[in-house]
Amino acid sequence: MSLHTPRRSPVLVTGAAAVLSLSLAACGTGSDTPAGEPETPDDPVELRMTVWTADETQLAQFQEIADAYVEANPELVSGVTFETVPFEDYTTSLTTQLAGGNAPDLGWILESYAPEFVSSGALVDLAPTLQATEEYAYDDLLDSSLALWGEDDALFAYPFSNSPFAVFVNTDQVAAAGAADPAELVASGEWTYDEARDVATAAAAESGGQGLVVRDFEYQVWENLSTVWEGWGAAPWSEDGTQCTFTDPEMVEALTWIHDATFVDGAMPGPGTTADFFAGDAAMTITQISRASSLDGSFAWDVVPLPAGPAGQQNVIGQAGIGVFANADTPQIAADFLAWFTNPENAETLAAYFPPPRESLLTSATLAAANPLLSEEQLQAVVVEGVQGAVTKPAHQNFARLQDTVRAELDALWTADADVEAVLGDVCGAIDPLLAD
Amino acid sequence: MKSDVMSAPTPAPRQDGVRAGAAGGRRPDRQVDARARADSSARLRRRWGRAGLVALLVVLSIPFVFPTWWMVTSSLKPMSEILRSVPTLWPQDPSFAAYGEVFDLQPFAQQYWNSLYVAVLVTAGTILVSALAGYAFARIRFPGANALFVLVLVGLLVPSEVTIVPLFRMVNSLGLIDTHWPLVVIPIFGAPSVLATFIMRQFFLGLPGELEEAGRMDGLGRWGIFWRIAFPLARPAIAAVAIFTFLKSWNLYLEPIVYLSSRENFTLPQALTQYVDAYGGPMWNVQLAATTLTVLPVLAVFLVAQRQFVQGLAHSGLKG
Amino acid sequence: MVTSASAVAVAAAEQTGRRRRPRRSAATRRDWLVGYTMVAPQVLGALAFVVAPLVAVFWYSLHEWNVLANTFTFAGADNYERMLADPGLRDSLVASLWFSVGLVALNISLALVLAVLLNQKLPGTTTFRTFFFSPVVVSLVAWTIVWSFLLQADGGINGFLATVGIDGPNWLRGEATAMLSVIVVQVFKNVGLNMILFLAALQAVPVEIQEAARIDGASAWRRFRSMTLPLISPTILLVSILTIVGSLEVFAQIAVLTGGGPGNSTTVLVYYLYQQAFRFNDFGYASSISVLLFVIVLVLTLVQWQTRKRWVFHEV
Repeated sequence: MSLHTPRRSPVLVTGAAAVLSLSLAACGTGSDTPAGEPETPDDPVELRMTVWTADETQLAQFQEIADAYVEANPELVSGVTFETVPFEDYTTSLTTQLAGGNAPDLGWILESYAPEFVSSGALVDLAPTLQATEEYAYDDLLDSSLALWGEDDALFAYPFSNSPFAVFVNTDQVAAAGAADPAELVASGEWTYDEARDVATAAAAESGGQGLVVRDFEYQVWENLSTVWEGWGAAPWSEDGTQCTFTDPEMVEALTWIHDATFVDGAMPGPGTTADFFAGDAAMTITQISRASSLDGSFAWDVVPLPAGPAGQQNVIGQAGIGVFANADTPQIAADFLAWFTNPENAETLAAYFPPPRESLLTSATLAAANPLLSEEQLQAVVVEGVQGAVTKPAHQNFARLQDTVRAELDALWTADADVEAVLGDVCGAIDPLLAD
Repeated sequence: MKSDVMSAPTPAPRQDGVRAGAAGGRRPDRQVDARARADSSARLRRRWGRAGLVALLVVLSIPFVFPTWWMVTSSLKPMSEILRSVPTLWPQDPSFAAYGEVFDLQPFAQQYWNSLYVAVLVTAGTILVSALAGYAFARIRFPGANALFVLVLVGLLVPSEVTIVPLFRMVNSLGLIDTHWPLVVIPIFGAPSVLATFIMRQFFLGLPGELEEAGRMDGLGRWGIFWRIAFPLARPAIAAVAIFTFLKSWNLYLEPIVYLSSRENFTLPQALTQYVDAYGGPMWNVQLAATTLTVLPVLAVFLVAQRQFVQGLAHSGLKG
Repeated sequence: MVTSASAVAVAAAEQTGRRRRPRRSAATRRDWLVGYTMVAPQVLGALAFVVAPLVAVFWYSLHEWNVLANTFTFAGADNYERMLADPGLRDSLVASLWFSVGLVALNISLALVLAVLLNQKLPGTTTFRTFFFSPVVVSLVAWTIVWSFLLQADGGINGFLATVGIDGPNWLRGEATAMLSVIVVQVFKNVGLNMILFLAALQAVPVEIQEAARIDGASAWRRFRSMTLPLISPTILLVSILTIVGSLEVFAQIAVLTGGGPGNSTTVLVYYLYQQAFRFNDFGYASSISVLLFVIVLVLTLVQWQTRKRWVFHEV
């Protein structure tokens, strides 16, 4: 029956007059930088971390690590909760919580939005805390992994997950279609996108299901296609984020390939078709290695690196960071918890699903111990080598707007008779003003 | 005329289809024979025409009824059958598994309760606020009444989307984000209740002054007249307000997604859209099971009370 | 839309009420005080939750405001200038226009057809009436979810079309079919309400007039066109205008069915407003769109009042 009362003490402002003078001071950015041991609060605090995974195994693992922290620091923290916010609305929900003065203590952040969060001042600099934490081995963190998440020496979020994109293969379906085995193609150096397409076409024709699914693309989340177009060396915009490069020949070729694979060869599912690789609906899927947890053993499978495109093979990783919000009640304690959550020991545990940005842990032996599902060879080929020299998915300081604008323009591409070049011209026309901002 | 508004739920002199159905085109006996014969062939033709009309009604019913059927049956299907290329009207192997998942994935019972108690509070609060204001605006002459009434009327012109941003800021500065307070308080006092106040005022305007006079003779003061006489008499208007207000609160979507962020606080419409797997893929059978659980109880209440529902609406709507 | 129904109720109730003023009661100071006390909750509520936010929206619309970056700077008419040059806003106005026109045309004509059919005293009328009305009480989001399931490329509707050899379109992804789908889903949801209102109007048409015309040998269509239709035309007009105003507030349907796509073809004004505010954290620009929405509703409402005055005059 109770109306839930908020955790934080309300700024009591009442009456119509107050509405008119809505004070913006109420949501000022905290600039206190935590370093070293946090001060002990009067009462132990309750920490909240927003995540987008709903996987119970993963959540249980987090909780276990968190409970150990609570046990070790009962005077600081009384409990840690992991709040699942659906992936689809994750960033919107998170920013709404922030704007609403209901900031979580910690939160996962998608790499695409990293520049926006890093530059906004909404996050606390973690470097001092992490560096001051004993046995944290800050220098073990890969510089290349941190690049997106920091400015100068500051680090605004810890990239806990550096999950390479790979191709999961339903070997039952591929074998049934009598198509070439992707693993053998990899071995013989013939694992290209064209080959992958042919395997997919054959398998789909045989099974009546789908061939190759770019997971979570769903004709909305176009940035996931970057796993494919990186094989052509294509990118949506220039490195500094000021020039549209959708019309560059690499991108035109890459998207033409995707378009034809979908509408000519039937190798990829068309718009509005639901196909879940892990439910056995498709022969292959491009997704992150952390999805291995969705495999339930109902079919034989393999995992291979991304195929090579005309520009060679390019590894792509999806990163996710954990940040501490400046507007939370106790950023110092939250940062201290983060230092625990991601210390070498726990990073090794989490490596089961989230390859850590730690050089010492990126060995197939370490990863194999945490990943019983994957063989050491698979891990070596896909993860260890996958993280090296990998690029991340597109990111930009104005990503939310860009995402939506490009999504809207690309919709014209997803018909059988689309004019790829013209559509991409329109994409650039639409996003040029946004990039110029 | 005013009695029409007051007598809203009276079932009396309506030409209801079922009752009148058998009596199509009967006429007094004093028709001449020839006329009657011509009439009978015309009647035959009409009967066929009527059968055609009934068939038309059956066809037209499909888009209204079929979605509900499809929702219920699909919620009993496993994922492998749910998007089958040859659709099945009845699940081959009905299973309630999805219903279990509804409660596993989200605190659905809690969300159900949230929607219910918010809607009940809003309905009760709105009735009270709007009856008081409606009565005063209609029956009490006090300086500035018209100006105040016009001020209130502005609420009719403001879609909730227009003021969502400042209201969000206000709720935020009061520290009430992710609570149910804004979903309860704003509708009771804000724009949504203005409509109710309007309906109430119009009703009370039509109340015969003699009734109040009698109350005054019995020694009742203003408040006594309101509580003992006017308010009880306003039942038809209250019923209309209650139905609209409850449904509106029950359907609220934009406001919850703006104000609420944690699952245990979600209301039903918001919760329904959250039945997706960890990465946004749809889980149709679970979503449809949750939808079924949301829809059927309200539908059942409607079927039981539909006569009052529809008639009340029709009467308050168009007579006068 | 529930709103539109209640607005009809208001409109009608208002007319009824207008006929007679209450007898003047003794305006004692005590009575005044009771009056002020009684209206206080509503008046203060309207001030706090309607008038003040409206003023605030105007104020915000003059500012550049990013919530995440926490910047709030006076920008004069910048947001309004931006509106003029914003192709996204233009698209959303076009989408809103299409939606409103399509909705009103389909909704009114179907409601009328249903009401006329139900007024024929056919067997089973009550059951059919219940069928047609039942979606009105179904939760809007629930109804929309079920339809979105039916309208998937591999969903129920195309499944049934396939069994009779028709290759159904990808309803929610085609530019023309997406808007059509949103409209149709909304029509089936709420047409029952308008149907009931029309039915009540039809039943208020005096039976004697109908009988007389029938004896004169006028065909059913003629009777309907030249007699019934004019008599219920005030209702049609009123219901149309209210449906238009209601159609501007469509949000949940778009969010669930199409997310504004394909392209921006179903990004109606309110959805665009939501995106600017809560997806792009651009509250200043969103506020200027709110002002635009308010002005549109204001104009439509004024038109409605004008029109109603005219037909009331005619009727008398």
